[in-house]
Amino acid sequence: MVIKVENLVKRYGDLIALDHFNVEVQEGEILGLLGPNGSGKTTAINCILSLLKYDKGSIEIFGRPMSPSAYDIKRNIGIIMQNVAVFEELTVYENIDYFCGLYVTDKSHRKMLVDEAIDFVGLNDFRKFYPKKLSGGLLRRLNIACGIAHKPKLIILDEPTVAVDPQSRNNILEGILKLNKDGSTVVYTSHYMEEVEHICSRIVIMDKGKTIASGTNDELKSMIKSGEKITIEIFNFNAKILSDLKNMKNIVSCEFADNHLIVKSMRGENNLMVLLEYLKSNNIAFGKIYSEPPTLNDVFLEITGKELRD
Amino acid sequence: MQVFKVFFRIIKKNLGELSVYMIIFLVLAVLLSSINTGSQYNEFAQTKSKIAFINNDKTSALTDGLRDYLNENAIIADIKNDERTLQDALFYRDIEYIVKVPSGFSDKFYNGEKAEIEITKVPDSISGVYMDNMVEKYLNTARIYINNMKNISGEKLTQYIQKDLSKTANVNLSAADAVQTKKYLYYYNYAAYSLSAILILGVCIVMFVFNKLDIKRRNLCSPLKNSSINMQLILGNLTLSLGAWLIIVITSIIIYRKDMFTISGGLFILNLLVFTIAMLSISFLISNIVKSRPATSAAANVVALGSSFIGGVFVPQYLLGAKVLTIASFTPTYWYVKSNNIISSLAVYNAQTLKPVFTNMLIVFAFAVAVLAITLVVMKQRKTVS
Ligand SMILES: Nc1ncnc2c1ncn2[C@@H]1O[C@H](COP(=O)(O)OP(=O)(O)O)[C@@H](O)[C@H]1O
Ligand SMILES: [Mg+2]
Repeated sequence: MVIKVENLVKRYGDLIALDHFNVEVQEGEILGLLGPNGSGKTTAINCILSLLKYDKGSIEIFGRPMSPSAYDIKRNIGIIMQNVAVFEELTVYENIDYFCGLYVTDKSHRKMLVDEAIDFVGLNDFRKFYPKKLSGGLLRRLNIACGIAHKPKLIILDEPTVAVDPQSRNNILEGILKLNKDGSTVVYTSHYMEEVEHICSRIVIMDKGKTIASGTNDELKSMIKSGEKITIEIFNFNAKILSDLKNMKNIVSCEFADNHLIVKSMRGENNLMVLLEYLKSNNIAFGKIYSEPPTLNDVFLEITGKELRD
Repeated sequence: MQVFKVFFRIIKKNLGELSVYMIIFLVLAVLLSSINTGSQYNEFAQTKSKIAFINNDKTSALTDGLRDYLNENAIIADIKNDERTLQDALFYRDIEYIVKVPSGFSDKFYNGEKAEIEITKVPDSISGVYMDNMVEKYLNTARIYINNMKNISGEKLTQYIQKDLSKTANVNLSAADAVQTKKYLYYYNYAAYSLSAILILGVCIVMFVFNKLDIKRRNLCSPLKNSSINMQLILGNLTLSLGAWLIIVITSIIIYRKDMFTISGGLFILNLLVFTIAMLSISFLISNIVKSRPATSAAANVVALGSSFIGGVFVPQYLLGAKVLTIASFTPTYWYVKSNNIISSLAVYNAQTLKPVFTNMLIVFAFAVAVLAITLVVMKQRKTVS
């Protein structure tokens, strides 16, 4: 076990930011911590790193209790904070060298590591740039390079893709997969479900400081009632269609808005044919039609009754 | 030494703003010290002030000597010994200064008892300060002879005093090195201003970076001990301060050459060192209070300029009002400048003459310690808040 958090409680005054939060991270996995803004992801990470005092619970990393003075544990962690933490006064190279130097004292070894990290995030053309001159995406990449240059066993990334252009986002996500392949265990927090679905081997969904579900992507989706979502474009809509559909079996919900009929079906049943037949026999004209498998948003929606996206 | 190294990278990146203060200082110091050369003495010598000399004691060699001595440097007005007349004369500025020898003064003085001359003067006048100075000089010299030569005759005494005082007067008026002393007095007084500004700015800029929550947390995640980070920061601050001090000292040696390798030169250098430590302490406090980068520049300007003005860096302390000086005495700048002024006026170096200098240095050092204590309390308070 790389990380084991049990019954973590953290209050900010009256606000309970973490409410008996539990999480376990296994060696070699990419664990995704998914939750809307304000659900307590950053607070959890900060407690795990002993940056915040917590009110209750226990935290173990690499099988040992974590504390502010657990320097041998810290030595093996790479941290990429939600807020970019770099020195404005240092260049890209100097920044990575500084943070790497907190872990690696040997100069020539460090030089090699820093060069590798620069290659890894693709900042070779920007070595002598100061952070102010970097775009949001490149700045995030610098932040990542500063966190991973020393090749840590455990890498924690807190929302590393916020406000990032698509190109940098891909670079970052592919990079995380590569780090994992090279042997690092990764904890990845985000409120973007697509990212988490894409790269994480296991996902913990958080809301209001609690774990509300956890498992692999497929496991999570099999927990919920609804299966595929079918969207049909209809131009001459009438209320009878809705009530007819609602009476069909295997249909969980249906609604109509902006010329689009959205039908959610029961898991495991293919309802597309039935629907098409109904439309044909009732002579209802339709335009585009598409069917999507359930998403983590559906999982979140079904458990909490609200959308993951705000 | 990652932190220490970054400390000076940050300083280097801000060298522009920092060196502005050094350049202002050097230009100011060199220009003003050459403009001011000697002029002050000429001014005093030419405009003799009118005074009254009233002797209520018996005529003695001591009182006659004083009268003669004052007569050389001021005009003694012929005025009736009557309180009313004297006050009126003072009010209408017919005279600027009244020296009154109380009865029994000479005997007490010879016997080593507490004996004081009564002085009345126009408030806040330069000539008043000058006269104070002369009376004090005369009596101090007399005291030294009486204490050290038992049963010295009145005639001998006045003779000796006369000789001593005319000697120092001559030195002050003409000798080149005395003028030089004045010159580097200005230099070292102005140094207080730019040293304050540079230290506040430099320390705040760097501490501001390392105190940023994101950077702080990021550092705390690393295996580098927090105490080690703090040690490196302290080392950086000390190096910065001593570096600034050294630049000022070396520049003064370049400008004044061998004059700096004298007792008074050494005292100036030491005094500046003590002041540097106090300013470092104050800068550290400010760095813990100020919240933004623009506020840092503002604080550096306000504190450095303000304390320099009221402390007597730009305007001599004897020209400042009593209230201003009282406020100023809560800044190390005031005590630093005061020491400088004393050092530059010293002709004899012994325990007695150096005592006020070292007392002032001790006061400045006490500032350093007290402010550091306050800073630690502020830091602790902030920790418990967050
Ligand atoms: N320093 C703080 N003081 C008070 N409340 C805070 C503080 N930091 C976070 N919170 C609150 O705690 C909750 C969790 O915040 P956070 O951990 O930042 O969530 P997330 O990272 O998932 O967006 C939010 O409601 C936030 O407003
Ligand atoms: Mg967050």
